Amino acid sequence: MRTRILLATAVIGLVLSAVPVWAHHAFAAEFDVNKPLVLKGTVTKMEWINPHAWIHLAVKNADGSTTEWLIEAGAPNGLLRRGFTKASLPPGTEIVVEGWQAKDESNRANGSNITYPDGRKLFIGSQGTGAPTDKEDKQGK
Amino acid sequence: MRKQIFLLLSALALLVAATLPAAAQSNPSKTKSDKSWAAPKTPWGDPDLQGTWTGDDTWGVPFERPKNFGTRKTLTEDELKDRQKRVEQSEEFVETGGTNHSPAVAQIEAKEKGEAVPQAQGRYGRGVDAAPVPGHWGEFARRPSHATSQVVDPPDGRIPPITPEAQKLLDEKMATRRRDPQSWEDWSYYDRCITRGVAGSIIPVIYGNGLEIVQAPGYVAIRYEMVHDVRVIPLGTQEHAGPGYRSWMGDPIGHWEGNTLVVDTTNFIGKTSIGVNGDAGPPSSDETHLVERFTRTADNRIDYQMRVDDPKTYTGPWTVEFPITQEPGYKLFEYACHEGNMAMRNMLSAARAEAAKKAAAGAAKP
Repeated sequence: MRTRILLATAVIGLVLSAVPVWAHHAFAAEFDVNKPLVLKGTVTKMEWINPHAWIHLAVKNADGSTTEWLIEAGAPNGLLRRGFTKASLPPGTEIVVEGWQAKDESNRANGSNITYPDGRKLFIGSQGTGAPTDKEDKQGK
Repeated sequence: MRKQIFLLLSALALLVAATLPAAAQSNPSKTKSDKSWAAPKTPWGDPDLQGTWTGDDTWGVPFERPKNFGTRKTLTEDELKDRQKRVEQSEEFVETGGTNHSPAVAQIEAKEKGEAVPQAQGRYGRGVDAAPVPGHWGEFARRPSHATSQVVDPPDGRIPPITPEAQKLLDEKMATRRRDPQSWEDWSYYDRCITRGVAGSIIPVIYGNGLEIVQAPGYVAIRYEMVHDVRVIPLGTQEHAGPGYRSWMGDPIGHWEGNTLVVDTTNFIGKTSIGVNGDAGPPSSDETHLVERFTRTADNRIDYQMRVDDPKTYTGPWTVEFPITQEPGYKLFEYACHEGNMAMRNMLSAARAEAAKKAAAGAAKP
């Protein structure tokens, strides 16, 4: 378990060190470091738009009411190349979002980590679209 | 008008592609080094660069060369094996997503236990910015690059010093980024969904590295995925437009040198940076002169080179080099940016909320 965490961290660190992310706007411009949250809810809609996709999430509150949250996800082009389409996250799917709330205190959060309730990450893998791990299509190695 | 030209060229290209002999869609593993490989030609005899290409394979290659490499352009066998391992790790990461939680969870747990919040360690700040970019955002290399850096000239792989004027502009830019935002103009042209400029549109980043090349007799057009800029490059034009004509992507003129497309571009507005995303480093000037070279060296590979000469910004010219490749199934998707730019709206809303809080705190002081 520890090795896998270290592996994941190392790879993430590589992603950041190889190509600067700072040139893109900082997450801190939108989201509040003092407002970490974990939201569990049901997808009602996904907006497949650039620059970032947005997931609409219906979250049940303690008092039984429901609040709609907007969760920022990545650019859809990369997701589409991994084989995810508009049909991949159907309304009704339960997901868990870890992230931070918007600075203006609206019901928006960044999807720093998004999983299914059993812990499996969302948006992983590839499905024959020429993505890096698509083994059948790999060429030129 | 630009859109019409692009549509016309696309239609022409489709017409042409329909008549292309099957040999042109040949075995992608054939390369220049195979004696039987010949660079494909269009039906009218120009070298054929057409297709959808990506800079993904430059993932892992630093933009400027780390000093310990000196003038060495290529990794050793051991260094290459190391990079190969990292490429394989990134592939596994795509498949599994890793097992880490967001640092937000550690923050919440610490608060619940009444403990101090663990210091979030990150290259790009604390808290939210220290959180790694979520894994599903990234696109990765398919094969490890042999290059020690993207910058290959000057020979040490490092950009020449910037001029004092450029340093002043860079300082002003950084100061703008650090202060409380006043308007959308405080963000980059990239964040504003306007442009990343010519260089920023092709220098590889963590996603969105696609471009499409379409040719017609007398023209080459390049469509960049992020953020949707298109350049129509006339071949055979001898002179650039006059100094009064300026644009974000400049005025390009192309010609062939053997199998290499050489694109000479001037007449830039400037202002975008030449580094990654069109935002890294000082803003470029209106004297920017780019010379790019596109050479197809395999069915699935173009060797790309860009020479930057901007005497108002840099004390000398410099050159970047990296391959762009064709990958089965890799498609460009429309990057309609401005229409969905909720981040800009959200950043401005956040800034207003913070300003209001500060004002309230100030008013509450005795």
